[in-house]
Amino acid sequence: MRAGFRGWSKGVSALILAVLAPAVVGFAARGVPADDEPAPKAEAAAAADSKAVSSKSKGKPDYLDKMIQEAWEASSVKSSRVAADAEFLRRIYLDMLGRIPNVQEASSFLGAKDPNKRVKLVEHLLNHPDYAKNFATIWTVTLIGRGNQGRMVDRGALTGWLRQQFSANRSWRDIAFDLIDAKGSNKENGAANFVLSHLEFDKAPLTSISTRVFLGLQIQCTQCHDHPSNDWKQTHFWGINAFLKGIRSRDVNKPNATGADVYDHTEVFDEPTDSFASFDRRNGLVGIAFPTFLDGRKISQGTDVDRRAELAKFITQDNADFDRAFVNRMWAHFFGRGFVHPVDDFGAHNPPSNPELLDKLAADFKASGYDIKALIRWITTSQAYNLTSMSTPQNDKDDTLYSHMALKPMTPEQLFESLITATAAHKAGGGGDDNKRRDEWMKQFLFTFGNDEGEESTSFQGTIPQALMMMNGELMAKAVGGQPGSFLASVLEQAQLQRRQPLDQFIINHLFLAALSRLPSSAELNKAREFLRFNPEPNPIPVMEDLFWALLNSNEFVLNH
Amino acid sequence: MFDPTSVPAGMTRRHFMSHLASTTLALPAMSFVNSLEAHAAAGRKTNKSCILLWMSGGPSHMDTWDLKPESEKNGGEFKPIATSAPGVMISEHLPTVAKNFKHLNVLRSLDSREGNHDRGTYVMHTGYIPNPTVVHPSFGSVCSYELGERLQNFDLPHYISISTPAMGAGFLGMTHAPFMVQNPNAPISNMKPPSGVDDMRMNRRLNMLSMVEHNFIQSKRGGMPGDHKAVYAKTVRMMSSQYNRAFKIEEEPAAVREAYGKGGFGSACLMARRLVEMGVTFVEIGLGGWDTHTDNFKKLSTDLLPQLDKGMGTLVGDLAQRGLIDTTMVVWMGEFGRTPRINQNAGRDHWPKGWSIVMGGAGMSGGHAIGATDKDGMEIVDRPLGIMDVVATMTKAMGIDLATQYTTPRGRPYKIVDDGKPIPELFS
Repeated sequence: MRAGFRGWSKGVSALILAVLAPAVVGFAARGVPADDEPAPKAEAAAAADSKAVSSKSKGKPDYLDKMIQEAWEASSVKSSRVAADAEFLRRIYLDMLGRIPNVQEASSFLGAKDPNKRVKLVEHLLNHPDYAKNFATIWTVTLIGRGNQGRMVDRGALTGWLRQQFSANRSWRDIAFDLIDAKGSNKENGAANFVLSHLEFDKAPLTSISTRVFLGLQIQCTQCHDHPSNDWKQTHFWGINAFLKGIRSRDVNKPNATGADVYDHTEVFDEPTDSFASFDRRNGLVGIAFPTFLDGRKISQGTDVDRRAELAKFITQDNADFDRAFVNRMWAHFFGRGFVHPVDDFGAHNPPSNPELLDKLAADFKASGYDIKALIRWITTSQAYNLTSMSTPQNDKDDTLYSHMALKPMTPEQLFESLITATAAHKAGGGGDDNKRRDEWMKQFLFTFGNDEGEESTSFQGTIPQALMMMNGELMAKAVGGQPGSFLASVLEQAQLQRRQPLDQFIINHLFLAALSRLPSSAELNKAREFLRFNPEPNPIPVMEDLFWALLNSNEFVLNH
Repeated sequence: MFDPTSVPAGMTRRHFMSHLASTTLALPAMSFVNSLEAHAAAGRKTNKSCILLWMSGGPSHMDTWDLKPESEKNGGEFKPIATSAPGVMISEHLPTVAKNFKHLNVLRSLDSREGNHDRGTYVMHTGYIPNPTVVHPSFGSVCSYELGERLQNFDLPHYISISTPAMGAGFLGMTHAPFMVQNPNAPISNMKPPSGVDDMRMNRRLNMLSMVEHNFIQSKRGGMPGDHKAVYAKTVRMMSSQYNRAFKIEEEPAAVREAYGKGGFGSACLMARRLVEMGVTFVEIGLGGWDTHTDNFKKLSTDLLPQLDKGMGTLVGDLAQRGLIDTTMVVWMGEFGRTPRINQNAGRDHWPKGWSIVMGGAGMSGGHAIGATDKDGMEIVDRPLGIMDVVATMTKAMGIDLATQYTTPRGRPYKIVDDGKPIPELFS
């Protein structure tokens, strides 16, 4: 027996050894009960599932499915069939909660006979606490990246603020306005950390990220010269930049418990200014720009206006770019690809795949009062979102018209949360602050360039370092291990307490459910049983650990499908 | 001395494997003990390699390779010195590089057009400007695909980046993306299975993994599931290979470590030499901190140039001494140069128009200065070069056919070299 198991409830492990070792061969001969087939026959599932989606598409605009279908027809593309429940289930948990479902969540959905269960699941997830947590995490990364932004930036406060906004389903317009216009203490007003993390180099980074994130426009390369392939000019960049000229920040100290005066928070405020932005032109001359929005609208050049509030208004009020940018970003989140791709590169040089649909959705999103949950409801109950990711010869060349679901490699955050969910690693690892552990874990993949745009990259998705971490890393070792409190240990205990299934089958089923949110096929079950049978050692636990390891390292686990 | 042929005998297969072979579980896919056969092929390195020194942030060419002592307003604080290449002068803060400059060439008239970090990084790595409809492969990935794949029984990744994420493989797929070493002075993370997982268990794990992966690959979900399997296969190969000693710079004599510099950049240069010596096709090394909008001269003279000089100068000298320079190209570049004009913060800003890069080795003749800018560094006055001329030169030096063309996933043609010409002086 391995060191890790020493001392762990000897009674249980001895019992398992006694029961399992001689029994596996016998179990294998009994065959697989019908209810363990991985998915119902494809046609039956498709019929039941399409009814589930279309019968109660509450609030979904009727043109949505129609316009997607028209685009398929126009390109002679035929869509794939509807995804089986297990495929849909795993996908929507990852997209909405940022993690896979746990065994209980998976079993209860897969077992439910309700034809409306997908629509009900969407509602359930929209009100799940992990919904707000997930979108707060995503938007923290979008707004300030993954790296350490320095002492002045309180990442936790920004995430907390975002979480409140998503939890309360505040209108996107108000959230965006408050982010652009954020003032005051970065501890009290978490939104202020967005501005704070992009202040260096004359606010050029803040200029570029604000237009990219909120409007989907890339004007940052016009910092030094007019854009080579679209209409953006240097004056556009510096005209926006001039709105931000007055932003200031100052550290505020407070006496701590022992009375010493120490740093407490940073305050963001605007100094009234009548200054202009100046910049080097390619011809060596110096250009100047007063606050001017992209469409040419100007504001007073005096100190009588709050420039930043004016910019927030220009960006968020009656601005179709703003509406489209968010709809497109959300669509890309769920489909792996926006109508406009990349999501922040709108313009004549990069036309959308479904331009009219994007416009209509953007208009309806605006009409809804920028209701984020409504938009998610429309997207997740659409026909396209419910399709399988398996392609057919009639659509395997299509990667822009949503005829089958795209594969989305898990983000580092999704992978971390999913490993924790699948393996109850937080229990086995002795608790602690999950966010902090996740940030620590993230650091091994993060690379910060340290340039004036504050850019960073991760050596994460699909790379050898990721494979090494998944194969040999500490988190994985803890996660698959059978130590007390681990997922594997609890499955072994539950296996003892039930009589419905052979012991080995119960365990194998649960490992598949935990990692892949589905039951094994009969071929997979038989093979897994063979591994147990041909175990050269008496202790079966390492074999189970190894199976769990294989499931968690698989392409099926890490690719959101 | 690091001799790849003298690796000790590897691990032995357990009786488990022969037992397994008689069952349906014997899947051929991956095995953790494959390094046994691999050593036979290791011999003298004959393949071409490239070491790219990537100066992240945009390096000041005006203070390194194209000094303008005659320019009152733009000249700056540094003086030029002579090099081992007759007539070529470079910065006084690069004496070791100067000593070895006869192996190198400076191109002083590159107009790369992109002055944004992201776009500059993209264009200098791929030769192309960003395009929403296709992700171009980086030059390193092209070399991995064209040259690395020809190596038989080679266990290490063909494209390795040190202290930089470098740039991905685009449509060539994840198996040609760089393997990133975060910190050359620390052991590579997670290179060994956790304690308690021996060869027998690792093989069982990989067999089980093959079973699950195979089904998902068969399910017609595009290329990603197969890529995942291929990356795992590469990873397993590297883990179990004796070649991975190449990452262990601590095996080098103290004097060598000292000569390269023991900081991140020096150690990376030394690791790169060990890697190409072993046969790795493309190594990219990052040296960051060049975005010198403020205090340009202080940052360069006290930190960046001393590091660069020790690492790059020693590397070129060492490659030459070992006879590796004939098969190894060394390239120095960043995302763009910096403005001739010195700003009010004693800094220089982004400047993609008329700047310098350095390259040599792999059969190129050395000691040339190609192209020129005017007295103040503002305009190109001789031999304007575009990025595709640079790509063409590198492609030719690496022995890759200049007419090589691929088809992108969307069915469009992609040329490694699009309308560029190799610089003739470097091949005469």
